[in-house]
Amino acid sequence: MYRFLVVFIGFAFMSIANAYENPLTGNSEAAKSSKQYHENVSVIRKMHPEFLNHKRDKTLRQGVRTEENSLKGCVNCHANKDETTNEYHSVNDKDQFCSDCHQQVSVSVDCFSCHRTTPGASYKGVR
Amino acid sequence: MNIRYEQIQGRSLGFYALVAGLGVLILAALGAVWHMEHNGHWVTGMSNRIVWGMPHVFALFLIVAASGALNVASISSVFNKKLYKPMSRLSGLVSLALLAGGLMILVLDLGRPDRLIVAMTEYNFKSIFAWNIILYNGFFVIVAIYLWMMFERRMNKFSSKAGLSAFTWRLILTTGTGSIFGFLVARQAYDAVIMAPMFIIMSFAFGLAFFILILMASYKWTDRPLGDVVVNRLGNLLGVFVAAVMYFVAVKHLGNLYLAENAGVENFILFGEYVYSDLFWYGQIILGGLIPMALIYHPALRSNRSTLGLASVLVLIGGVIQLYIIIVGGQAYPMEMFPGKEILEGYGGIAAYTPSLAEIMLGVGGIAVALIAVTFLVKFLPFLPESLADEVSDPHHKS
Amino acid sequence: MSKTLNRRDFIKTTTATTASVATIASGITLTTFAANANENPVTNEKRWGMLIDTNRLTEANIDGMVTACKKEHGWGSEAHSTGDQKSNWIRKLKVKDKATGKVTSLPLMCQHCEEPPCVDVCPTNASMKREDGIVLVDRHLCIGCRYCMMACPYDARSFVHEDLTDQKEDMPRGKGTVESCTLCVHKVDKGEAPACVASVNSDAVIFGDLYDANSKINQTLKKVQSAQIRADLNLNTGVRYSGI
Ligand code: SF4
Ligand code: SF4
Repeated sequence: MYRFLVVFIGFAFMSIANAYENPLTGNSEAAKSSKQYHENVSVIRKMHPEFLNHKRDKTLRQGVRTEENSLKGCVNCHANKDETTNEYHSVNDKDQFCSDCHQQVSVSVDCFSCHRTTPGASYKGVR
Repeated sequence: MNIRYEQIQGRSLGFYALVAGLGVLILAALGAVWHMEHNGHWVTGMSNRIVWGMPHVFALFLIVAASGALNVASISSVFNKKLYKPMSRLSGLVSLALLAGGLMILVLDLGRPDRLIVAMTEYNFKSIFAWNIILYNGFFVIVAIYLWMMFERRMNKFSSKAGLSAFTWRLILTTGTGSIFGFLVARQAYDAVIMAPMFIIMSFAFGLAFFILILMASYKWTDRPLGDVVVNRLGNLLGVFVAAVMYFVAVKHLGNLYLAENAGVENFILFGEYVYSDLFWYGQIILGGLIPMALIYHPALRSNRSTLGLASVLVLIGGVIQLYIIIVGGQAYPMEMFPGKEILEGYGGIAAYTPSLAEIMLGVGGIAVALIAVTFLVKFLPFLPESLADEVSDPHHKS
Repeated sequence: MSKTLNRRDFIKTTTATTASVATIASGITLTTFAANANENPVTNEKRWGMLIDTNRLTEANIDGMVTACKKEHGWGSEAHSTGDQKSNWIRKLKVKDKATGKVTSLPLMCQHCEEPPCVDVCPTNASMKREDGIVLVDRHLCIGCRYCMMACPYDARSFVHEDLTDQKEDMPRGKGTVESCTLCVHKVDKGEAPACVASVNSDAVIFGDLYDANSKINQTLKKVQSAQIRADLNLNTGVRYSGI
């Protein structure tokens, strides 16, 4: 029984890894920028839920409003702009930045029942 | 004398019809929940003024009744009354089933029922609501242990201890439920110390009414003997409890009427031109109080099971109405934000509330869940004594 | 007046000056925080508050405050909710004194109580008070039980009755959770004044640190008569009114 579980989980992780072997594509700030924002991409892939949860508590409860691990930052940088309409796609739309992975592993994202899914009006691009 | 317990057969057409009927109600309730959660609460009659509507009425009604349904078991184990002993198992079962139904409604009416896990892991120990969650869970555990001790012969000797702790726990539980309102200092309608004891008495009456109905129905439908001694005893007890509820209601309202700051809300409930006054006099007092007492105590109707059944149903209907008045009526009356001043604009007035069908279906579904749980469990486990004829329940009875 | 302020505000008058907090007047940002202010957790050395002078506040001012709040946070335009189902963080109230017949208009929002009943009753700790006195709903934990709405004496809270999209970037809001005035915490943390305060171009609404003896709100509170709504409940509200 356990062996099956291990194999299953192994597959699950492989499929995540496969999906992201290629570098970021699409028309987002992150894909276009040459700057590396995350120190270690595999860490952020694996750990981003923990980072986000930790940061949200610090921001909401303690008023710590740094850019590091802010969800707004993720959305601003990773939302794709439509080439033709020049409008942003929601990060949780099908095949967009968040859902791409999440739909593969069927983990629902709860963030966007409240948070906005595209950069806000005041966002002026990466520093 | 040894009492023999036996499962019901549960193969008759009637049994399946009952299960099917209850199943339909439960499916309807789930449909209603999907509708409300998918769209959001705007499809209900609830609003920012009436934040707790019909689902809470049913949920609290069932939760209150649940603790009362344990009465029969408590009387036998705590007060050592032999007559009630054979019915202890059923009493525990009904109690758990009603609680499950009530909690189901409560959870499914949350804005985010998907976050139930948060409610179970994040506790604010200052919150009476959080304490209630603990009390409800504890009640399940304690009553389950109590039932097991009654079932397991080796454990029988501990069952009265377990019964005592279940009895204590349920008193605390109902006090806790009543205190949900007691902590709302800003709302005039709930500003009464009597709330908690009143809830306890209400629980006695509603729980016993449920128990009587379930007992009589299951014995009738399975053709098992149920003697007059038991029926009359339970009927008398129900009459006493109903009278006690009425007494507490009278004390509460009279007390409030003479307390200047609460006179407004009292007049609104008792003599206002809103639906709550009609509900109070015709529903709660006459339908749910006076008529059942007449049915129970009228000498010509003694040992008459149909009228006792009717009285129990009326007590339950009156109970739902009573909780409706407390919960919805209490919110409809505006808070006194500026004592000595009149609010001309922006807040105030009696808040309107029209329950939607979905809310009612969810509430009824909760009752159905409780009943279907009882139906199945008496089929699979020996909850019911084979006979409750007079010579079984009361060996000294002379007929 | 000093009695209604917290014990702490005079103890720390000597240290307060080091934080380089200048007076905050409505509409103008005068506070200069240290560059790293947002990196450090807020502390209970501050308590944010507001003083509303109903004698100087016109009805148009109040309407402007409501509009500014809506614009900042995006509430009130829910498509399906009707009447009392719509969110309402700040409202205009008109009250008439029964004895004198005097009619007063005032804005009413979450009063940011020091002893907030909404926080006490919340089963999951979703309702919470920051160290600096701002009361918020942590929607990550809110299960939508609405007990806090039952408990709030000011009817200050709203339940989101429907799905929302395209929220304001600084104000996540969503179906099934409870919300209320945040005192524009995202602005306050940046050293700015709340949107409603900024919308009023006079000293009719003063925002600032109640504890800071040099702050305008502290000094004004020492001078003028002010009141808390439902002061009898002893909640020690952060929002104060003069002229009622
Ligand atoms: S005004 Fe209401 S919502 Fe605001 S802190 Fe006080 S009790 Fe809570
Ligand atoms: S509705 Fe949310 S914030 Fe309010 S008491 Fe319930 S869990 Fe807490």
